[in-house]
Amino acid sequence: MSWEEEVREINRRRRLAKQQGGKEGIAKQHARGRLTIRERIEALLDAGTFQEQGLATAIPDYDDNDRLTGFVPANYVVGFGRIDGRRVVAGGEDFTLKGGSPNAAGLRKSVYAEHLAVQYKVPLVRSLEGGGGSVKGGGGRRGGTVGEPVYATPRFRIIADAMGEVPVVSMAAGAVAGFPAGRLVASHFSVMTRYTAQIMIGGPALVERALGVQLTKDELGGAAIHAKSGIVDNVAEDEHAMFHQVRRFLSYLPASVYQRTPRVVSEDDPERMEEELLTAVPRDSNAPFDMREILAMIMDEGSVFELGRDYGPSQIVALARIDGQPVGVLANDNRVYAGAMTAEAGQKYRRFVEMCDTFHVPIVNFIDQPGFMIGPEAERSATIRYGMAAVCAAAQATVPWAAIQVHKGFGVATAAHYAPNNYVLAWPSVESGALPLEGGVAVAFHREIAAAPDPDAKRRELEERLRSARSPYPRAESFAVHELIDPRETRPMLCRWVDWIQPQLDELTGPTRFPMRP
Amino acid sequence: MARLEVESEVTGNVWKVEVEAGAQVEEGDVLLILESMKMEIPVEAPQGGTVAEVLVAVEDSVSEDQVVAILDT
Repeated sequence: MSWEEEVREINRRRRLAKQQGGKEGIAKQHARGRLTIRERIEALLDAGTFQEQGLATAIPDYDDNDRLTGFVPANYVVGFGRIDGRRVVAGGEDFTLKGGSPNAAGLRKSVYAEHLAVQYKVPLVRSLEGGGGSVKGGGGRRGGTVGEPVYATPRFRIIADAMGEVPVVSMAAGAVAGFPAGRLVASHFSVMTRYTAQIMIGGPALVERALGVQLTKDELGGAAIHAKSGIVDNVAEDEHAMFHQVRRFLSYLPASVYQRTPRVVSEDDPERMEEELLTAVPRDSNAPFDMREILAMIMDEGSVFELGRDYGPSQIVALARIDGQPVGVLANDNRVYAGAMTAEAGQKYRRFVEMCDTFHVPIVNFIDQPGFMIGPEAERSATIRYGMAAVCAAAQATVPWAAIQVHKGFGVATAAHYAPNNYVLAWPSVESGALPLEGGVAVAFHREIAAAPDPDAKRRELEERLRSARSPYPRAESFAVHELIDPRETRPMLCRWVDWIQPQLDELTGPTRFPMRP
Repeated sequence: MARLEVESEVTGNVWKVEVEAGAQVEEGDVLLILESMKMEIPVEAPQGGTVAEVLVAVEDSVSEDQVVAILDT
């Protein structure tokens, strides 16, 4: 007697599971310009590495003789796989079945995805599509039980915990609403497709019913909305570009907080010095310049991966490498409000610092900070609160932190740019103080200026006196900076710093006191 | 030919207008310069084309996302 018959049945069920929502359901998904969840996982992972968990999970139908007459696969697919040879957990809703709204079998697997990643200490990549729960689902029949038992662990506990344990990435490649939208933002990196994804708390029907306004999914939560709202970090032109971004993001991070960042062998010369850095910052302090060009000249060639460019755009955040070592890059974009910290820029900054701290990614900060944004709009949006949250995140950061004083450093906002584990370099173009001179002089010396026979001349005289005190040399003389440098030396200096912080990075593993929250 | 609305990324005042209607511009050419937070912020042509209209004048205040010029591309 062999078990051949059962084995045949096991194989039949495996085939049934892979039929997903059937030929028709799959064709519909393709007609919407979207891949199915199985195609997505295949394309995301290294070829042939997907090892599913719970392939046979389904809602079965049996006849009176216990013969299988129906088999609806769980509409959540999850399992192990590899990205660039490194282990990950990948999962996502199957939109070809019930529009991704979890069927009973799918729900069991979907809530397991975070557990799986945390238990095995590997990154989680979620593909999200669907609207979450439906009033049609979830029992309530007489005689049955409703709700969770009072002693149950909250379902969202693991979603919060995962963010302090392993890299979590979310992809939106269709309409994402309700709980899946919540999951999307509970990540370290989220990305949506430009033309086929929308993210909403509640979709058009709910919005019309509640508020009486008619809006399309795209008007509510298309890429144009969310690149600016910051709900997603990045937008991708199509699904394959999205998978590429996910793979790239993960390449900078360790598999979990228990490991150190993956340093690679860099092909870029650590001693490379770009001539253009000498003229990159204009002598006229009101003339803007391109901070991104400066970053590209200093970091390993082609290694800068910017996150959330259109959200809080006065603050640049990016992942990059210096001599093969992944680093978090902070920089001000002086072409947007002179690089001032707005409420959004403050939140962007805090979240990024918390992410780097969680995964022990050293930070390199290029400072051109004129201060917190001011004006009526800035006051209404509580800029000072979010700004101070950024200051606190930096003040308690545990990672090695290189601060390059590129240009301005004014006001309390500048405090957000330094951390306890500092290495401070200054360029000769540095200017700093409590307030920028224009404005600052008028406030501080208003009596003296008003009392002078020629107030304008007095103001100019004071400005001139203070401007000469703006000389960069006293900072070096006072050991207020480690070194005042030729801007061209920045890369070699940072490459040496990266070498010196290696022993600290070996030690800096494990959970942090303040992991990132959404 | 498409009409392209050029928006300002920031709130500020118009400091200089560098082009007139009818001018040929290339991608990256400066259309006007705003003054915002004491910085001179250029508004550049997102694509090459002909300036159809400049909608603001020197000293006008401009708000974030306001259309400041129209290009025919």
